[in-house]
Amino acid sequence: MLNQLLKKLIRSSTGRSRFILAIVGLSVALLLILAAVQIQANYNDLLNNKTNQDSVANFLVINKAVTSSNVGATTLSQADIDDLKKQPFTDAAGVLTPSHFKVSAQGASDRIPFYTDLFFESVPDEFLDVNNKDWKWGDQSTFIPMIIPNMFLDMYNFGFATSQNLPQLSQELVMNLPIQINIKTALGNVNYYGKVVGFSDRISSVLVPQSFMDWANNKYGDQADKAKPSRVVIRTKDAGNPQLTEYLRSHGLTTDADKTRFSKYRQIVTGVVNVSWVTGAVMMLFALLIFTLFIQLTIASCKEEIALLVTLGTAPKQLQRFLMKQFFPSNVVIVLVVLIVISVLQLLLKKILDTQHIYVNGMISVYTIIAAIIILAVLWLVNNYTIRKYIYQQR
Amino acid sequence: MTISLHKIIPIPLKDKFLQRGSDVWNTVIDFNKGEWIKIKAPSGTGKTTLVHTLYKLRTDYEGKVSWNNKTLKETGDDELAALRQQSASIVFQDLRLFANLTARENIELNRVLQQPYYESSRIDEMAAQLGVSHILTQRAGLCSYGEQQRIAIIRALMQPFEWLLMDEPFSHLDINNTNIAASLIAEECTKRGAGFILTDLDEDHHFEYTRYLNL
Repeated sequence: MLNQLLKKLIRSSTGRSRFILAIVGLSVALLLILAAVQIQANYNDLLNNKTNQDSVANFLVINKAVTSSNVGATTLSQADIDDLKKQPFTDAAGVLTPSHFKVSAQGASDRIPFYTDLFFESVPDEFLDVNNKDWKWGDQSTFIPMIIPNMFLDMYNFGFATSQNLPQLSQELVMNLPIQINIKTALGNVNYYGKVVGFSDRISSVLVPQSFMDWANNKYGDQADKAKPSRVVIRTKDAGNPQLTEYLRSHGLTTDADKTRFSKYRQIVTGVVNVSWVTGAVMMLFALLIFTLFIQLTIASCKEEIALLVTLGTAPKQLQRFLMKQFFPSNVVIVLVVLIVISVLQLLLKKILDTQHIYVNGMISVYTIIAAIIILAVLWLVNNYTIRKYIYQQR
Repeated sequence: MTISLHKIIPIPLKDKFLQRGSDVWNTVIDFNKGEWIKIKAPSGTGKTTLVHTLYKLRTDYEGKVSWNNKTLKETGDDELAALRQQSASIVFQDLRLFANLTARENIELNRVLQQPYYESSRIDEMAAQLGVSHILTQRAGLCSYGEQQRIAIIRALMQPFEWLLMDEPFSHLDINNTNIAASLIAEECTKRGAGFILTDLDEDHHFEYTRYLNL
């Protein structure tokens, strides 16, 4: 009953349009700020998410850029590798071990005859994007498993085979193809039997298991030229990290430019997110100001009523509680509505990105909710402060 | 609850009051629980100032006012609100109703400001007694002064109190209505064992006063 009477006394004097204006301003500002938080969260999600992490972009094969001045001297020293490992953007680094023996491959059956000189490289298994039970080598192994780049097959199928009038090969066919591997030693060729067990999008090299490489290098390798790696594969959270690009440039290193090109987009995205942040923050400031002014106006426009209410024995605290009840619930509603809007947008975003095989969380992030709660707390404080200040002023 | 005045003197009227004698200004005086006190004074001698001072509507005075030994100037907002809700009720000379609320809402407001002392049906009884039933649903701003004064009296009687402060409460009423209102006030004060302080211009016999004072 008291609240009804107070409502009649205090509400009647303020314009509805002003209230709506204040509410709309606050909503837009909140939407911008929380959207910025959500975008940032999505972005971090994309960079760190397990599903996305295993994608091509996060593994980079790095080597020295071959220029006319360093031809033949592109090996990486241990110091170079250690320094690279120390960089903040490097999660893990593995050396690509080159083979130090001459090797060739040829068709083991007469049905598909071919011959090629070849080379091997190996890399620790954790850097591979191929999972295959055959990918192992031991003393008892009957064949050498190999991983070849997908690109190889594409080049053959769409470039070589068509122009030479040769049959195109499917992945399955290649994997079933028996291959004879010849390792050239001082005493003549040693024959092995090899088999392609997978195709890599990540490392453009003919890979063999590290164990075989170590063993073979030891046995057939040219001891004088002890394994000096010239390529390193690193795992990074963010291939688009501008820091990484800058490091590579300043050390004369190079990698698949397609992957680091993302760093430019990254900078743009970061810029957009920042602009959204700043705009949101500035708008929030103005919206708070408008809302504060609205409260102030409401109180000022019924200052006589408030004075009389206090005269009759209304405690300022009672009034404050009443006014809080008038203003704060609208803020809570705004925050909830904005959270719902962002949730819906996020769901839509997920649907759209799913078709592009970019996986983001369908739910809004915890950070967005935390930000909403913090903003709500700020709103409460500002409301409370304003009401307090102006009630005591009117008294 | 005792109201004690210790040499109070309103600062704006200081020179004027110091020159002449008064039963209230610049004296030490106690108003004891349940006393019915009539303060008589001609215009411009500070009746309203006194009532407002006792009710802490103004603090521009020297000396000390205390309710039950609690100095009024040191009483905080919440304590003051509690005092006005539970112990002190008031009928203002200028009535001070909310013009935009109906007569009933004006009364109701003071009823529900604290734990209600009366059921709301008591409003109708009192209004009937004072002959203002027909204007209860009317906006207070549209009521005549006589009607507003009776509404203000009912409003004051709707809450619990130990002291009722009345500043020329019958100024707009004819003698017949004054008698009816006075008997209602007497009845309510007796029921609560409450005292009152009534200021007026002239002698009167509306109540059985326990003390007469000249301002």
